[in-house]
Amino acid sequence: MQPAIRVTELLKSFGPSRALDRVTLEIMPGEMVALIGASGSGKSTLLRHLAGLVLADRDSRSEIEVNGQLVQKSGRLAANIREVRESIGFVFQQFNLVGRLPVITNVMAGMLTRVPLWRSLTRWFHASEYSQGLEALARVGMAERAAQRASTLSGGQQQRAAIARTLVQRAKVVLADEPIASLDPESSRRVMDILSTINREDHCTVVVSLHQVNVAIKYCPRTIALRRGQVVFDGPSERLTPAMLRELYGAEADEILDLPDHISLLQDRRDNVAPLPSIQAAQAG
Amino acid sequence: MDSRPDANTTAPPLPPALFDARCRACWMVAGLVLLTIASFWSLDLDFAALFSADSRQSMLRFVSEFFPPDFSAPFMKKVAIGTLETLAMSLLGTVIAAVWGLLLALPAARTHAGDAALARTPTRLVLNALRSIPELVWAALLLISAGLGPFAGTLALAFHTTGVLGRLFAEAIENADPAPAFALRAQGVGPVRVFLYTTLPQILPQVMSYSLYRWENNIRAAAVLGVVGAGGLGQLLAFHMGLFHMGKTATILMAMIALVALVDIASYLARRWMTR
Repeated sequence: MQPAIRVTELLKSFGPSRALDRVTLEIMPGEMVALIGASGSGKSTLLRHLAGLVLADRDSRSEIEVNGQLVQKSGRLAANIREVRESIGFVFQQFNLVGRLPVITNVMAGMLTRVPLWRSLTRWFHASEYSQGLEALARVGMAERAAQRASTLSGGQQQRAAIARTLVQRAKVVLADEPIASLDPESSRRVMDILSTINREDHCTVVVSLHQVNVAIKYCPRTIALRRGQVVFDGPSERLTPAMLRELYGAEADEILDLPDHISLLQDRRDNVAPLPSIQAAQAG
Repeated sequence: MDSRPDANTTAPPLPPALFDARCRACWMVAGLVLLTIASFWSLDLDFAALFSADSRQSMLRFVSEFFPPDFSAPFMKKVAIGTLETLAMSLLGTVIAAVWGLLLALPAARTHAGDAALARTPTRLVLNALRSIPELVWAALLLISAGLGPFAGTLALAFHTTGVLGRLFAEAIENADPAPAFALRAQGVGPVRVFLYTTLPQILPQVMSYSLYRWENNIRAAAVLGVVGAGGLGQLLAFHMGLFHMGKTATILMAMIALVALVDIASYLARRWMTR
């Protein structure tokens, strides 16, 4: 089977510093993968490279393919990049909706590439197209908000609307860049549940960057850990013990582990996964 | 050294005082004062003569000549036509300018960080040129090519206002939140639709508000433009004032004041209704 995402020798420098250092990885269709690492470790940069929103270094052998189609090679975008992007959904930390437009219009923007230009200019969508949008909103539990302006929604609701946009887009690969970093615990849980649902039911490949290791372990079978632009761990999430993280990150592990694991603080049904012992306990011992 | 406070005990630095030793504000104020003095000196104004008994009397005579204003039916009809012409000139000129302003604002704005925006500087130069020539000068120029009448006036308003609105719209586009546009580009949507679905909805209140405000400006300008022969109330005014028909002049002035006030109110109400 051909991988959903293939990254080869990805090299990206910002001035003298290496943001991504020879990152090579493969993600198979239908996987749900967590991308963890401290701030500045290259999580966002990697995700943006996958959608061709950032270009790798010119003189490198960097190559990225998504769904078997070339995204960029040696710092040059594929000629048909817009076509390739149609199958890539992107979920942002700050939701990136237009506040003044109704929720449904924001969601319908997901299918713009499938609607003829002349109809999209006048926002003329057929009833069947609207029902796709409403169905997507219903799946994220937001059907009754369809006519409301996006700016009137809470952060969690906006993020769910943004995910509905990728559903309408029929993205095969969903890249989520810190989707829960600015949400409260309950909203975070709902957003992660939805991402997990579209991974299971729609067989979307989901790559989600997270700050909290515990959330990664709870929702994602596989985790890729970055440190200073390098992949330092790529494997089953349950192997990420505090000892392993300390080995990978040294003192930086505190940044990843000290954060309150706000999803497992909620008494939810997935609590069969054992929470990680606190790093302070390890330090004290 | 001893008199200075220890580095550990000093408070975090405060912003500099408005009038400190090398502040720009002081030089600015000093420069403005000097310029004001220089202008009084160079203009040789005679305020004493203005308030003398003699000039008071002649002013009184001048004002009294305006009465009674001419309210005869045939002249009122002429004024009504002139009023409508002025209104139409200002409205049409503003609408044309808003459309062209928006079209030119796109190349004049850097829409996202990766945008090379090669046309930005040339387009801004064009907008600058359009804007820096006043309506009255545009009208005088266009009268030569487009002939006497409201057509030249409309074009004059449209040209100048395109320069103003194009610049304002370009600023609005650059200040709009780029995040939603980024999201749509990330899913492969082309630039036209990215603009229509993310940038335009964000700047629409500003576009409407700026356009209405310029309409207020243009109704005043349109009233004056007629003086150089570009139709409307202004042309009527110039004609009758030239012949010292002071009664008729008074009627025209009253029509102008009423028209400008009406448009101001209409535009104010429309802007308030929209931004609510």
